[in-house]
Amino acid sequence: MLANALLSLVERIINQLLQLDPQLKGKLAAIADKQLLIEIRDWQQSILCVYSDEQIHLYSTQERSFDCMISADIDTLLALKDPSMLTQLIRQDKLDLQGDLNLAQGFSNAFAELDIDWPEHFSRYIGDAPAQQLWLSIQALKRRGSQTKSKLENTLTTLCQDELAVTIHPLELAEFKQQNRQLKSQVSQLEMRINALLQSR
Amino acid sequence: MNENQEKTTHFGYKTVAENDKASMVADVFHSVAAKYDVMNDLMSFGIHRLWKRQTIASSGVRKGHYVLDLAGGTGDLTAKFSQLVGETGQVILGDINSSMLKVGREKLRNLGRVGNIEYVQMNAEALPFPDNSFDLITIAFGLRNVTDKDKALRSMYRILKPGGRLLVLEFSKPEQEILSKAYDFYSFNILPKMGELVANDGESYQYLAESIRMHPDQETLKGMMEDAGFEQTSYQNLTGGIVALHRGFKY
Repeated sequence: MLANALLSLVERIINQLLQLDPQLKGKLAAIADKQLLIEIRDWQQSILCVYSDEQIHLYSTQERSFDCMISADIDTLLALKDPSMLTQLIRQDKLDLQGDLNLAQGFSNAFAELDIDWPEHFSRYIGDAPAQQLWLSIQALKRRGSQTKSKLENTLTTLCQDELAVTIHPLELAEFKQQNRQLKSQVSQLEMRINALLQSR
Repeated sequence: MNENQEKTTHFGYKTVAENDKASMVADVFHSVAAKYDVMNDLMSFGIHRLWKRQTIASSGVRKGHYVLDLAGGTGDLTAKFSQLVGETGQVILGDINSSMLKVGREKLRNLGRVGNIEYVQMNAEALPFPDNSFDLITIAFGLRNVTDKDKALRSMYRILKPGGRLLVLEFSKPEQEILSKAYDFYSFNILPKMGELVANDGESYQYLAESIRMHPDQETLKGMMEDAGFEQTSYQNLTGGIVALHRGFKY
């Protein structure tokens, strides 16, 4: 029941997005009323996803009726953002897909191309010019945020590696790995020699 | 045996003549209909929405299905079902009480849910439909108010299509003793007071608390469903057994 409580929140957010991007409804119309079952293996949850009556419905369910079913771990499902991974994941047995593949692709494509005209929505409340200005400010803030983030990351890395010397440089790690591999092969050689000597006695 | 002696049944903790129960229940619901939704939210702290959501998740309903939402009251389940069955399906909101039906119809129409919903006043013990008519029947918080529950279950079985299912969402027995105590205190001390304050009708909510205690527990209801002919019956306890969702199929 907890899963259904969380899904009702997610459902509400997605349906809000549907309102904000009017083109999304057109994209989803082709897959209306079809049932997509997403089985998240490591969470032991099955989520039923239906687009019906211009709304997305999400339910955590034990039902096994579907038009298309995807079964995978959560990491694998997240990796599906890149559609080219699909065949590779199926071949690796990480993903099980049954039924109408177009349905899964329909959902995935519709949300991948999500395009919300935020300034347009803001303008309804605060007028065109301030909305555009607000949007530009948000964009600038976002850019500055990501710049600051990467700068902070760099500083932290340098601090840990060079100043405090609590972590090692990636090159040192690579070298350590190399030495480890050498040691491993030497040990296995030694093991083989010992075994050979024991057998020859 | 005295022929004039009337058969009796329970109405909350009171014992009343079987013929009188329907009208007494009707009075309760005529009285609470207007404030029904507000009171549901208040009394259950909104959790009744999750219980109903769980019912929909277990319904297996899809486009083109025929659904009967029995004792559907103010139409919470009907609203969702009407979206899921689409234009080719149909949902019938059935209730014995005209006031509840009226509130339900007004609410659903205001939500824009028209076209595939019909409203029918009916008695669950004698459902006015041909055999094998529905893919799904739900009865949420209604069965305990029915006078002859076995007869109602048999009637539901008759009108279900082979392969169809019945979902009974109803108050039940909490699994844990401590939860049961807290729940008893809440429903006998706080609930009627809330009813008095908000809906100006403490008596109806006293009846609600009592009728829940008189309702058969999980296993008994499962057995009753099996006796009526349902197969693969099972139940799921929700919120520690305060509510149970029973499921049965007709094959």
